[in-house]
Amino acid sequence: MDREFIARGLQRSSPGRFLLWILPWAALLAFGLYCAGLCLAKGLNQTNMDNRFAFGLWIFLDLTVIALGAGAFLTGFLLYILKLDELRAVINSAVVIGVVCYSGAVSALMVDVGQPLRSWFTFWYPNVHSMLTEVTFCISCYLTVLLIEYLPIVLRNRKLRDVPSFLVFEHKLHNLVYVLAGVGTFLSFFHQGSLGGLYGVLRGRPFAFREGFAVWPSTFFLFILSAAAVGPSFILLTTKLVETLSRKRLVRPTVYSLLARVSGLLLAVYVLAKAVDTLVWINRTSPGHGFLASQYYSWKPFGTWILFAEIVVFGMLPALVMLTPRLRAHNGWLVGAAAMACGGVALNRFVMTVQTLALPTLSFDSFVSYYPSWQEVGTFLAVVAYGVLLYSFSFRYFNLFPEERELRLEAAVHEEESALAGRY
Amino acid sequence: MTPRKRYGMSIDIDKCNGCGACMMACAVENNVPPVPEAANDRKGITWIRVYRVDNHRAYPERRTAYVPVLCQQCGHDTPCVHVCPQQAVDVDPETGIVGQMPERCLGCRYCMVACPYHARYFNWWDPAWPAGMEKTLNPNVAPRMRGVVEKCNFCHGRWHAAQQKAAAAGKREIDAADYVPACVEACPTGALRFGDLDDPSTEVAHDAARPESFRLLEKIGTEPKIHYRSQRDWVRDIANAPHPDGKDQHRG
Amino acid sequence: MTTTRRNLLKFVGGGAAGALLTPAPWRLITDSALWSENWPGIPRPAHGGITARFTHCTLCPAGCAVRARCVAGQPVSLTGVKPHAVSHGALCPWGIAGHHLPYHPARVRQGPVKEATAAVAQAIAQRGTGEHVAVLDLRPGRTVSWTHRRAMAAINGGLYLTPRQPGYSIDLAAAKTVISFGAPLFDGWGTPGNVIAARSIFRLIQIEPVETRTAAMADLWLPIQPGSEFMLAAALAGNMTLAEAALITGVGEQALAAVQEAAESGQAVVLAADPASPLMSLNEKYGALGRTVVARSDAPMPEAWKQAAPEMSMAAAPDGAIRVLLIDESLPGGYIPWRRIAPKLAPDAVVVVFTSSNDGYARHAQFVLPAAVYPETAEDIGPAIDTVAAVFRIAAPLIAPVVPAVDPARFVERLAGLPASEPLRERAGAIHKAGRGTLLDYTAAKSTPVKDVTADNFWKTLSQGGCWMDDSAKRTAPENLVFPAAGEPPRDERPLTVVVAEPRRGGLESPLMSKLERESNLRLAANRVALSPDGARASGIENGDRAVLETAFGRLNVVVAIDPSVPAGVVEVAGGPRMADLCGGNGRARVVRA
Repeated sequence: MDREFIARGLQRSSPGRFLLWILPWAALLAFGLYCAGLCLAKGLNQTNMDNRFAFGLWIFLDLTVIALGAGAFLTGFLLYILKLDELRAVINSAVVIGVVCYSGAVSALMVDVGQPLRSWFTFWYPNVHSMLTEVTFCISCYLTVLLIEYLPIVLRNRKLRDVPSFLVFEHKLHNLVYVLAGVGTFLSFFHQGSLGGLYGVLRGRPFAFREGFAVWPSTFFLFILSAAAVGPSFILLTTKLVETLSRKRLVRPTVYSLLARVSGLLLAVYVLAKAVDTLVWINRTSPGHGFLASQYYSWKPFGTWILFAEIVVFGMLPALVMLTPRLRAHNGWLVGAAAMACGGVALNRFVMTVQTLALPTLSFDSFVSYYPSWQEVGTFLAVVAYGVLLYSFSFRYFNLFPEERELRLEAAVHEEESALAGRY
Repeated sequence: MTPRKRYGMSIDIDKCNGCGACMMACAVENNVPPVPEAANDRKGITWIRVYRVDNHRAYPERRTAYVPVLCQQCGHDTPCVHVCPQQAVDVDPETGIVGQMPERCLGCRYCMVACPYHARYFNWWDPAWPAGMEKTLNPNVAPRMRGVVEKCNFCHGRWHAAQQKAAAAGKREIDAADYVPACVEACPTGALRFGDLDDPSTEVAHDAARPESFRLLEKIGTEPKIHYRSQRDWVRDIANAPHPDGKDQHRG
Repeated sequence: MTTTRRNLLKFVGGGAAGALLTPAPWRLITDSALWSENWPGIPRPAHGGITARFTHCTLCPAGCAVRARCVAGQPVSLTGVKPHAVSHGALCPWGIAGHHLPYHPARVRQGPVKEATAAVAQAIAQRGTGEHVAVLDLRPGRTVSWTHRRAMAAINGGLYLTPRQPGYSIDLAAAKTVISFGAPLFDGWGTPGNVIAARSIFRLIQIEPVETRTAAMADLWLPIQPGSEFMLAAALAGNMTLAEAALITGVGEQALAAVQEAAESGQAVVLAADPASPLMSLNEKYGALGRTVVARSDAPMPEAWKQAAPEMSMAAAPDGAIRVLLIDESLPGGYIPWRRIAPKLAPDAVVVVFTSSNDGYARHAQFVLPAAVYPETAEDIGPAIDTVAAVFRIAAPLIAPVVPAVDPARFVERLAGLPASEPLRERAGAIHKAGRGTLLDYTAAKSTPVKDVTADNFWKTLSQGGCWMDDSAKRTAPENLVFPAAGEPPRDERPLTVVVAEPRRGGLESPLMSKLERESNLRLAANRVALSPDGARASGIENGDRAVLETAFGRLNVVVAIDPSVPAGVVEVAGGPRMADLCGGNGRARVVRA
């Protein structure tokens, strides 16, 4: 039965092994859902967030996850609009990752707000001046786009293809793919940006406040750039991970190289922009508000090291590695650089969320710290477990890597050849 | 149409002895519930909070002043107003008062992140009063529900009552004596004063113009309408950004 | 037209699409939000006619005039009464939320009245010779106190015990310099409104180890080594050189000289945290007696009441001889540590306490009987320390008693076999008969000389929260002002000196006080202590840690706040019965991490 759902020509583990793999994740998901249930039923007093730390672990990780999920839109854009055809090898995987990241983040947000039943108010009484309105609209629209993009992947399943109307529908959706890629890019551009704008507009938090262009503070553009830069890195990382776990070759090395090049290039541009932005902020924006930038880094543990780590260690360094063909060709360097790029964006989102809130604004404030409660951690683990499960199922039953079959055939031929060569 | 006002407050820090009467009167007036035992100073709800500030010196040179901090009713580019995704925060053009609509609030807490004065508070718990104490609730203010943000609105219920009184008397404008926030009314030392900042005849307008008057974080450009004053230099220094050396812990 | 399935579907679909063009679905969406707006469990404030009623606050002897805003008769907020000559419209945070007390979840709601009555009767009947029946009145000077005294006079071997009383009044308006040895002038010492009104007249020199609210408001705060106040006083009295005193007290010689100069420049008054402290005798030197420190005058009372047991301090009571002790803790007052009381009790003594709080003597008594709380009950308030003219003001009840309370006066009266009386009314009659003074009627916002008011109207006005004030009489020096000499504190090796930085009267306080304590840390909560950063480091304690405060008399679980304004070697605590039992004022202590 299970066998019939797996695409022809692909090799997947036995149902028992698969069950063994998903069970712990399912258990984690169940625990996480229990945590989320506690927060929903008893209220947010279950978290360690408070009036000073009004945003906590969830917002930090949501921002990170959404940045990592940017690979979906960027790959679509490069493949369908810029016609980089090599990326067809990872587009399906990218879409699944996008679905996982966005739906996961939205679910976590639903727990994070105090009155989830009122979330539709944002659509009903939107405040067009709010970055959060922009985020809400774009993310929910983009999640819809992603789901529509995910649908053909599902419908192409070996068993589902047997239903003729599914096949027709899938074909029709496929024709839409260019439109979807365009719309997705547009929406992503705006919500990644407005997630950055979320902090950049905070006049009352001079650590986060940035000047900008028109209605958008500079963080708007920095977030777009950084998300676009790490999106391909994250696809690279996940693909490598899946290759390792499944012990199969899924894409050709040229794809990795291309992803790294794209990631490296965008990261380099981002680092440059971030450096300029930081200099403007230190010398103009922040002092203009009466805050010396030096004081932000005088509260332990947030020293200037964090700035250095963000720009140089997790920015410049991986960009250089990914842009250097010799280093890039080496698996260790490649994976390391991609991981560092992803770590860098996480660090940036951490700084924007946590450091912004920890720093005092009033002269008689104190520096505040925050540790998430187990309910918060659990809730987020549910998102992780959900992501792993969704991806695992997708990988098992849908054809996420179109080159996988060819690569397997090639490998089989190669094996046969070598076997023949051995015989003769 | 009532003439436009720009309501504000003046606070004489030198007169405040930190008794906390303003905080109590505020909680009584606005039906702010006591928080459960598990709550601390970062999860409580105090629309007006008296902070203990000091001159950063060591004992015995250390000196303390008490600074009541409430919503500063920012008059320009009000940080909380433009961040709210669903228009639950607004500035009343008639009074200049920054209002919060709890029944519209989603509880995203973005406004709390935006506020540099930490004057916004989230309902982490369901509101609960000890049995019987709900009888002492003020009928002019609706209690809020769990999961929404609330803050000082210059006792909006009182403004409403003053309006009704004026309307009943056929007057277009309210009598200034009829509209005084609970904290101002309760302050035993008279450190708090309230009135229309645009009317030069009011005490607050006069106080705001005094040379020793200052506002918190004036440089960020939000035009707060709470004017503090003190004769002491080190107290006036609290208007500015934190000092990197002022790292000690405060009990307030 | 035939009804086919297709047509039906068309109709439904069309109807749905058409409905979108009507306001109904959109209105429905908005209305569905109502559910989240009216979350179940959120109490609805009751509506009703709004009235103003007046009373006086009984939470402390200041007895500030109170205006209650009532909705359908239920007080919902309290404010001061501006025209009141003493309280000037000011209320302290406790007073502002006094109307919450009847609903306090920790209130004593029931008690073994029958058992207590029987046990007391039996103990009285069986007591041996030389064994006493005693009433401990925590708030002497009330009309009820006279009932206690009369009852004790009527019982053979009856004693009337009180905490140490000042026996004088302070006229702050007559002082140019106030030298305060830790008297919490701005935090519960006298009538808040009166102190604040007089503040612009006098120069305040506050001498105490920590910067309390009063010290923060002082013109000059002298941080003194805890426990060395008497040395400073000796220097001011000329019994010690300033240089010597400076060395011991830690106060600079120049500052001491400045205090001396201010004190001797005339019209100075010395105040102490303990009104019966020997430090008060400095006033004689400064000529404050009869000018600022004046004899207390009481409101006139019926002649018959003069047959009353004398006031006796706990120290003067015979040891091991009290067989029955009735403690009137219905109003919180000067709590006497239990270890001072226990030796006075006979081995099989019966102790009954009338209280609303489980925090005070309820921890020590066999029988805890519920007492009414403010503003449930009509009573008068003892004299405030800063009121010179005699006053008689009644706390008019604003609500009906929430629990079946026991009236301690009735209980004692019955015990002594006195006929049930209406002492408040009798006293009002006596005042009216004397014909002096003025009647303040807040409801009508007027004051009338007593001689122009009929006895009935006088009583009616008083019982609706009015106030009688005596004409300002000639000031006389207080008689028999004897201050006990300071005893040597016992040796105690514990490293920290306990300083009560947060005066606290004990008894119930509004649940909303959490705003000042747990929710903002403005005031030190009863279970919190403050340590200096060095002191905390020495004990390995971090801010917010749980710890045990340990003294010679016991241990208490506390939460530690680290506060750089606390001097090294000091632990700041909040007052109250538990702390009084533990430290008895200034003691030595150790804080150990729990």
